[in-house]
Amino acid sequence: MSAPQHEHEHGTSEVKYSTCYMCACRCGIKVTIENNQVRFIQGNRNHPINKGVLCAKGSAGIMKQCSPARLRSPLLRKPGTERGAGEFIEISWDKALDILTERLARIRATDPNKFAFFTGRDQMQALTRLFAEQFGTLNWSAHGGFCSVNMAAAGLYTLGYAFWEFGDPDWDRTKYFMLWGVAEDHNSNPMKIGIEKLKSRGGKFVGINPARTGYQAVADEWVPIRPGTDAMLALSMIHVLLSRDLFDWDFLIRYTNAPFLVVQTPGEKGDGLIYRDEAGQPLAWDLKKEAFVNGLDASCHPALFGEYKTPDGRTVKTVMTLLAERYLDERFAPVNAAKICGVPAATIERLALEMAHVAFKETIEVAVEWTDWAGRKHDKFIGRPVSMHAMRGVSAHSNGFQAARAIHFLQILLGTIDCPGGFRAKPPYPRPVPSPGKPARHSAPNTPLDAHPLGFPTAPEDLVIDDEGRPLRIDKAYSWEAPIANHGLMHMVITNAVKGDPYPIDTLLFFMANMAWNSSMNTANIQDMLRAKGPDGEYKIPFLVVADAFHSETVHFADLVLPDTTYLERYDAISLLDRPISEPDAVADSIRHPLLALDRDVRPWQEVMIELGARLKLPVFTNADGTPKYKGYKDFITYYEREPGIGFLAGYRGADGSKSLRGEPNPQQWERYIENQGFFQYHLPKGIRYMRFANKGYLEFAVEAGFLKTAEPIMIELYSEAIQRFRLAGLGLYDGPTPKERVDQERLATYFDPLPDYYEPLEQQRVDKEEYPFFAVNQRPMMMYHSWDSQNAWLRQIIAQNHLYMNRARGESLGFKDGDWVWVESHNGKIRVQLRLIEACQEDTVWTWNAIGKQSGTWGLKPGGPEATEGFLMNHLISELLPEKSGERRLTNSDPITGQAAWYDLRVKVTRAAPGEEGVWPTFANVPPLPGAPPKPDILRYNTRTKAS
Amino acid sequence: MNPSLAVIFLTLFSGAGFGLMAMVAIVNDFAIDGGLSPLRTAILVALALLLVTIGMVSSTAHLANPKNAWRAFTRWRTSWLAREGVFAVLFYPLAIAYLGWVFFTNSDQNDGALVLGNVAGLIGLATIFCQGMIYACLRTIRQWHTPLVPANFYALGLALGMTILATSRVLTHGPDLILVSAACALLVAAGVMKAIYYFWIGAPSGTTLQTATGFTGGRVKLLDQGHTFGTFLTHEFSNCISPTRARNFKIAVYVLGIFAPMAILLAAAHMTLGLGVLLAPLLAFIGIGLERYLFFVEAQHVVNLYHGRMPGSLPQMHPALRGGAVSPSVVGKPRLVPSYEKR
Amino acid sequence: MRLGLVIDLDTCVGCHACATACKQWNTSSITAPLTDYDPYGKEPSGVWFNRIRHYEIGEYPNNKTINFPMSCMHCENAECVTVCPTGASYKRPEDGIVLVDQDKCMGCNYCSWACPYGARELDRESGTMKKCTLCVDRIYDETLPVEDRQPACVLACPAHARLFGDLDDPESTTSRAVRERGGYALMPELNYNPTNHYLPPRTRPAVPTSDLPRGSLARKVKEWVNRVIER
Ligand SMILES: Nc1nc2c(c(=O)[nH]1)N[C@H]1C(S)=C(S)[C@@H](COP(=O)(O)OP(=O)(O)OC[C@H]3O[C@@H](n4cnc5c(=O)[nH]c(N)nc54)[C@H](O)[C@@H]3O)O[C@H]1N2
Ligand SMILES: Nc1nc2c(c(=O)[nH]1)N[C@H]1C(S)=C(S)[C@@H](COP(=O)(O)OP(=O)(O)OC[C@H]3O[C@@H](n4cnc5c(=O)[nH]c(N)nc54)[C@H](O)[C@@H]3O)O[C@H]1N2
Ligand code: SF4
Ligand code: SF4
Ligand code: SF4
Ligand code: SF4
Ligand code: SF4
Ligand SMILES: [Mo]
Repeated sequence: MSAPQHEHEHGTSEVKYSTCYMCACRCGIKVTIENNQVRFIQGNRNHPINKGVLCAKGSAGIMKQCSPARLRSPLLRKPGTERGAGEFIEISWDKALDILTERLARIRATDPNKFAFFTGRDQMQALTRLFAEQFGTLNWSAHGGFCSVNMAAAGLYTLGYAFWEFGDPDWDRTKYFMLWGVAEDHNSNPMKIGIEKLKSRGGKFVGINPARTGYQAVADEWVPIRPGTDAMLALSMIHVLLSRDLFDWDFLIRYTNAPFLVVQTPGEKGDGLIYRDEAGQPLAWDLKKEAFVNGLDASCHPALFGEYKTPDGRTVKTVMTLLAERYLDERFAPVNAAKICGVPAATIERLALEMAHVAFKETIEVAVEWTDWAGRKHDKFIGRPVSMHAMRGVSAHSNGFQAARAIHFLQILLGTIDCPGGFRAKPPYPRPVPSPGKPARHSAPNTPLDAHPLGFPTAPEDLVIDDEGRPLRIDKAYSWEAPIANHGLMHMVITNAVKGDPYPIDTLLFFMANMAWNSSMNTANIQDMLRAKGPDGEYKIPFLVVADAFHSETVHFADLVLPDTTYLERYDAISLLDRPISEPDAVADSIRHPLLALDRDVRPWQEVMIELGARLKLPVFTNADGTPKYKGYKDFITYYEREPGIGFLAGYRGADGSKSLRGEPNPQQWERYIENQGFFQYHLPKGIRYMRFANKGYLEFAVEAGFLKTAEPIMIELYSEAIQRFRLAGLGLYDGPTPKERVDQERLATYFDPLPDYYEPLEQQRVDKEEYPFFAVNQRPMMMYHSWDSQNAWLRQIIAQNHLYMNRARGESLGFKDGDWVWVESHNGKIRVQLRLIEACQEDTVWTWNAIGKQSGTWGLKPGGPEATEGFLMNHLISELLPEKSGERRLTNSDPITGQAAWYDLRVKVTRAAPGEEGVWPTFANVPPLPGAPPKPDILRYNTRTKAS
Repeated sequence: MNPSLAVIFLTLFSGAGFGLMAMVAIVNDFAIDGGLSPLRTAILVALALLLVTIGMVSSTAHLANPKNAWRAFTRWRTSWLAREGVFAVLFYPLAIAYLGWVFFTNSDQNDGALVLGNVAGLIGLATIFCQGMIYACLRTIRQWHTPLVPANFYALGLALGMTILATSRVLTHGPDLILVSAACALLVAAGVMKAIYYFWIGAPSGTTLQTATGFTGGRVKLLDQGHTFGTFLTHEFSNCISPTRARNFKIAVYVLGIFAPMAILLAAAHMTLGLGVLLAPLLAFIGIGLERYLFFVEAQHVVNLYHGRMPGSLPQMHPALRGGAVSPSVVGKPRLVPSYEKR
Repeated sequence: MRLGLVIDLDTCVGCHACATACKQWNTSSITAPLTDYDPYGKEPSGVWFNRIRHYEIGEYPNNKTINFPMSCMHCENAECVTVCPTGASYKRPEDGIVLVDQDKCMGCNYCSWACPYGARELDRESGTMKKCTLCVDRIYDETLPVEDRQPACVLACPAHARLFGDLDDPESTTSRAVRERGGYALMPELNYNPTNHYLPPRTRPAVPTSDLPRGSLARKVKEWVNRVIER
């Protein structure tokens, strides 16, 4: 038997391997190229991430590659025209780089902070950060601050790894999986592969989410929760576990700070800090010795519970005692939690007990020898096969840091951390808790920073503020307003820069972030700000540079556009120094390399940065004689070493490519990656695959690989002393910087709780719940990536319009009909959208698909497409500032701890539009086409056999 | 179903043509009202051929790839559409032979004429049957999957044919009483048959979205059809009509297609209407054309269930939502699109 | 041999990966291309062989969402073939795959009327009917590695919700899945006898909780007895 008609013409086709770029999952792809066109993009079966499968976006990569929205050459705003009028002239790369070099050199020689460099879902943050560091500006961050820093920070300040790409459920062994607030996330394909594995094994999958689509559709149990209340749900489950003595004693004593003693001297300095000896070692109460001992000492027998008096008369209690006192409170009893979360008390109790059953009665063992940090040998790993994942449903709230911590607490009490069947770390994680490295605080002309612009503050001294307490960064990260803003606050940059608060800047560079549209709150306002001029007639943001590959809404506002290549046209290193692609069992990194020849005057942004670095004579990119150090990006990746033997790529190191993880540069490194289908994997020996926070073999390996500085065990911090230090500063009980403004004092005192607690999201505390009865949230559609997939001729057929979804019974009780056009109003503004009444929605919530709405004329679409006339952004309703309060400066609408943008704290009212009021509102002026924009075909007949017509 | 003009015209005109041919044969067989003269026979057969040709030509307009139309006869063993084609093609030589024979022998009563006329008439009737079976054999469309469909096609085709024939007789002032009565009787019969059909399609069908998806445990509703705009499927299958509109159309079918032609023919048999009698076939065509429109637009393909529609009903969703209906611009070629399909 | 697909509704998350993978493979395949109309305009639409619909069963809060991919079922009684006047539509006796010969089709749409499952879509540009080929140009292609001789949609599906195999062979993964999971065919009353089957969502037994200690050490934290455990 055979294929009936034309046999596939293999003669003309070629198969190459690379890495997908349609989202940050970074799956391996196998690309068949035929007649210089992409015939087929398939998942790479050998790739650790996707193991051969591919999502809809990845499969539709062909249509990204032939998008009419691709930028074609550098563009300069036409002299004499207004910013945002969309009039550009094409210029050469030389001219573009001359303009930029001249400008940046001047800034660097005077005040480097006047150059702000912010990047979107950047897959080479290590390089953009290096550039900013070398330039000497504090004002760099990637998108994490508006994305999911709550998850990253909560994990890194608790476990040393996090939900946010640093950990994964043990898909091969877990028996109970709880998913909190996830529609798709970046572990897109692994999660789908994993859920299928779990379900085919008969495991249970619980989805906690106000909407029931996607993953929730296949959940064995759907828990429709009220948005913003996950902390309460998790803590109530903890209440149930504690009240029935269902927690892992051994785990808590051995691996967490639960037995450490906390000083209880309310109202005095030092209250709430860990009781330490003179050497600074944390103390515990030894049950055998009946004395205070160094809690880190391997041979002690610490009391988990207890209250003691110190020799100097202070009361100390174990962390666990404080924890139990807190969560056993009736406030957290399921009956009371139910009123907040909207989840029935019986469900809360049952879910907690189900997990306890699986953790303690269905324990698994992996018979592998390992040695713990204290040198004790074990013949097996004990697994408690309950696992979790959480993302933006938790993180995009202003209580998300504490909520994520609460979810980690649940995991820790059940002992499911990095154990078989549990929630496992992905190397180079776990890292010490909190991670080492403080944010850079000083910048000086023509000088690189002395540290990374981002880091992990553990005390008020680490804040990036001046002597007056004013923020030093344009986004006010690491200021009193967002003390542990580990990923910056990209969503505040435009607002702050335009206000000149804390200071005006000169040049703002956005790399792959659509800040004039879907990445900003309050979009219409932000567009106005980008156009705003001062009394002197100068733009408040004098120079806006946009490095993008496509004609986005933000490109429209640029003064200078630097066109990037697509992912099939350039070299990329997906580095361990960045967000890793490792799997729990293997260290991994990967590359992209050009599969298609360039047909436009575009350059990879990496190349541009290396060249710009050399032109600006940034030390890393320049030889002593001032000549460029690297021939280009490829060369840079091959030869740059962060520390001896450690570069961007960990594979095939050493002169002959025989070394892994650490080794001298290998001139043939790229070629070896390409031979190995574009990735490198180092499989961990079996004995170091679990319990890595305390696994001697792993810790030593991690030092050798450059992941850790020392092989000290990583202590899981239930109680966060770092957080308490900030609280003390708020209370005025801290020897060191303290905030002067009342609002900062209050915020620190209230929200910097060393044990996670539930509090109502900040915006919701300030809006009238009667007036705005609905919570409003978004979900990512699985087949669309933010704004950039509407240009995809295939994907936009699947979804070109979004609706507002509302619970059917609730909607009908309010007199709505399916398909009504409605006004949705928040404290910040209103939009008109089309309503759908469905079952898959919690009663008090409305939701929509994210980023379907587009500005007419952008993204290579013809004017007036459905994305512009019927699709909408919820962003118009969301303010980047909290509702005003008299006598208080305007505060960011972000988590008060991490500065995470609080997208999902929104409350709205919904009213029917008047008859005849149809179509979305607001709509925006049509954006004119860019110079040289290709024609948009009416009929597309893509085919690699014959030339596409 | 998409009530495309091409298929409406095909069945309407070719049905009338075949009906006319059959009626010419019968009238000549039994010399009803004195039979037809050779000239009248020739003219009516030519008219029948013209009607059939209009139908056939419009049917090829329905083909997206007419260059392969010649292949449409090859599968006559299995396909009613192929059979229709075969019979329709056979019809031409026989009808033309008959016409020629009558013309050259100047008689419609010789053996050759009778044989040729009857064979041509029978082939016409066979074609009508095939046409009916094209629809009736489809299990996917409950409104069509019934012997009532070929029966209706017969009744309407013969009624139309006889109406034309009777009209021609009235116009040429021959004896017309039996012909007019026969036309009226056939119109009444067609009206009754159609009434039975309309009654029958009103009954609920067994297949629902529940059974179609296999989820019989609870109410099943469409959450999202997986595409924002129309597709070939929604274009081809999702047309439908509101119950009130359908009722009004049905009244028009009866008034224009049955009662008015009857009244005009009866009146013409008793008084001089002159060319006014032409209104009888004209209105019959309009009325039965409407009937054919309804025949398509009321037919609900099971695939509509998957798009969240119940057979024979309006979409469950708000008309402002793209419940699968697709606008003309997506369709390319001009099609009739009922007005509620705003988008 | 009766080749076909089995779709697992217990794991299909409705991601549309199979649909786009199908689109990209087939746009350069034996019935290529799959035309798109108005791709960058107001009403984008096009020819697809596989579409995913989404349904809701029951009422809140006892509702369930079902993602429901549909492509050609390669029916045993393929009426689409029976009704085709030109012979363009045919069912391969050797493996049951139903195909449309693009060189013979006259674009009359009749087969699509006969298909209950909406599996056929006319390409207006070529004027021919197109449909799922079960990736016949992959599954027998001996120049591909064996594990790649699978339909594009099956290879792509991240939730492994699509199985491909011989439903005549009782030992094939597909047959076994149908047997063990109560797989069913759609609209059996129409008697098309589809080869493709659907696996219903699994019902899983409740997780027991009665075996957990009932103790309530919670009364007072200070009374809690410590356990002597070495760090
Ligand atoms: N296909 C696709 N994949 C993507 C992206 C994309 O645009 N498209 N974007 C990528 C990016 S940048 C990110 S940050 C990740 C984010 O990936 P996700 O975390 O999946 O992000 P969201 O789509 O915002 O999903 C939030 C989910 O939480 C629910 N939710 C909202 N509020 C609450 C709450 O208070 N509690 C609970 N329990 N649930 C809540 C929402 O209903 C929604 O299902 O996805 C990445 N992956
Ligand atoms: N209402 C609401 N708003 C949200 C969210 C939400 O859930 N709800 N989610 C927020 C989150 S978590 C995120 S991460 C942001 C995401 O928002 P953005 O980071 O703005 O994401 P995109 O729109 O996907 O893409 C940004 C830009 O990258 C460009 N790009 C694509 N490929 C390349 C390339 O190869 N090179 C270059 N140089 N550029 C490229 C695109 O053209 C686009 O202009 O949205 C945020 N906004
Ligand atoms: S999940 Fe999809 S879009 Fe993201 S990298 Fe993988 S294949 Fe590409
Ligand atoms: S699903 Fe439709 S097209 Fe496919 S074989 Fe069955 S009837 Fe024919
Ligand atoms: S459209 Fe083509 S395949 Fe379908 S019935 Fe007509 S000729 Fe046959
Ligand atoms: S088997 Fe091939 S043609 Fe059929 S739906 Fe799957 S990918 Fe498309
Ligand atoms: S690829 Fe798999 S999970 Fe996604 S829609 Fe298709 S069958 Fe469902
Ligand atoms: Mo994000």
